[in-house]
Amino acid sequence: MSTLPADSLPPVAGPAGGSIPVLPNDLPEPTRRRWVQWLVLAQVLFVLGVAAAGYATAALGRTVTLHTRPVDPRDLLYGDYVNLRYQVSELPGGLWRGSAMPRRHQPAYVLLEPQPDGTYEAVAAFPEKPAATGQQAVLRGSVQDVWRRGLRLRYGLERYYVPEGQGRQLERRQSLRVQVSIAPWGQARITGVEPADK
Amino acid sequence: MSRKLLETDGREWVQKEIITETQREQLLALYPTDATAIGLLPLLGSLLVGLSALSVVAANWQGLPEVVRLALLLGSLCGAYAGGEYFRRRGNLNLGMGLIALGLILFGASIVLTSQLYQLIGYDLTGLLAWAVAGMALTWLYRSRLLFLMTAVISGIVQGYNTGQLGAFSYLTAIGTALGLGYYWWRRPDALLGGVLATGLLWQAALLINHLHVKITWFFIPAMLVYAFGDWQPDRPAGRALQGPPLVTAFLFTLGLALFGESDLYAGQLRAPLLPYLAALVAVLIVSVAGKRQRGRLGSLTDWLLLLPGFYFTGGLPLAIATLVVLYAYSGAVLLRAHQEQNPDRVTLGTVLFIITTAVAYFKLTWGFLDKSLFFLLGGLLLLGLSWWLRRRAAHTFSSSTPPKP
Repeated sequence: MSTLPADSLPPVAGPAGGSIPVLPNDLPEPTRRRWVQWLVLAQVLFVLGVAAAGYATAALGRTVTLHTRPVDPRDLLYGDYVNLRYQVSELPGGLWRGSAMPRRHQPAYVLLEPQPDGTYEAVAAFPEKPAATGQQAVLRGSVQDVWRRGLRLRYGLERYYVPEGQGRQLERRQSLRVQVSIAPWGQARITGVEPADK
Repeated sequence: MSRKLLETDGREWVQKEIITETQREQLLALYPTDATAIGLLPLLGSLLVGLSALSVVAANWQGLPEVVRLALLLGSLCGAYAGGEYFRRRGNLNLGMGLIALGLILFGASIVLTSQLYQLIGYDLTGLLAWAVAGMALTWLYRSRLLFLMTAVISGIVQGYNTGQLGAFSYLTAIGTALGLGYYWWRRPDALLGGVLATGLLWQAALLINHLHVKITWFFIPAMLVYAFGDWQPDRPAGRALQGPPLVTAFLFTLGLALFGESDLYAGQLRAPLLPYLAALVAVLIVSVAGKRQRGRLGSLTDWLLLLPGFYFTGGLPLAIATLVVLYAYSGAVLLRAHQEQNPDRVTLGTVLFIITTAVAYFKLTWGFLDKSLFFLLGGLLLLGLSWWLRRRAAHTFSSSTPPKP
């Protein structure tokens, strides 16, 4: 090589030798140790934050009950979770209230209204968060697929980690009622799953 | 010099009175036994311990109360980091780094398991991104190659999960990986890490191209940008290592073009919009050439032969043949440079490339044009001739580089 830049670092003649230039750890040891402590603390706080978000969503959120669609029962239980498909996962195109056609990966806000049987059904879908009246609830999802007469949405609620012993019971059911807690800031989580035909 | 050589031959040197016994011992002291550079064992060890801990806990996981699960996760996380620090301070570097790597793995596991605990499986990436960021921060704090490697892998996993499961590409992850690890490698050039970094970035670039549903040839814009970055690296072996993965993909691509390029159906799949593609490619070429000039490596400009966009021509068989010519020119150039640099490894590489090209040419051309035996004869003669010429050249270079002493 003909030229060396000003910041090129000379190899340190160390006992390890070799052709790879090895830099000494240029961070003073106490500083490094303090930063590591902060970093580990940040990691612990992050995990606790995830847990807190879960608690808060259930405690402060509003609970709605959704119907799942029947799924091939052989595929339903996969490992220690069940895959769920909701009635509101596929919406007729007529419910879309955006000015433009929905696109894939676009966020969608689905307005839910309670039905006489206590479950919630979608009445409209918006590209922006709509205002909801007292009875209604808004569930955030994203558009997965669009076709001529409808669209498929994903809510991040498609998987339920089954508590011990409940799996076999859920596996044989064709249709389920899922309790979803929606926090005021939009986060949603499943708080319970029960068979629909009880 | 390796310690092994000193150990085996040292006594003989003392006997021949080249060095004294004390000097031999002093030399030995210069090369301590524990000089493993990468520490693959702690990596594997921490991986296995982590996996076993995971499976034991996972088997009883659902039966434990939530608070206990959370405490278990955070306790093992802190334990791993504290243990790592403890062993590092006692001078047991490999074990210490292994434990810190385990801590990083446990952080990722904690995020995933806590999310499952509270049925939080949203579509945002924050949790996994935090894992990659923690890896990056640890890499910088510990200046560790092991952590660098893990961070590259974790970023790849995060991006793979994001595009595969969530259906979105995280530019933040890609740019973060490129900047964070790229700058680290720039300041601490290292051949192994160069290869790791380039592979990780190419993986993310491939995910991006797949996600955007654009022509696959666009892949070579970010790939060659990685290559050009290697041109600017003052440390030559590290730079070459970074350039390895982009060159491998470009070579394989050209090989594919030579094999299937005569079908316009295939070549048509590759044609990105002409002007934007060429403009982007030329822009990257300029960056690369400037780097080569700066570092005095203009000889490696032949690498760019592989990027000739021949697929724009609707040539049929002539296109495939022209691509073969390019491949021959490239592998020939590799051989030639290897001889100029007197680098036996690169001579082997060039020969292998040459043979691969010849094999492709065989499949391509013999069926229709040449008798097979005649083709083998020609191929063999070509190789023999080339080897003779190169050897003559090497001898010439060698004799002219060491002029006889007056």
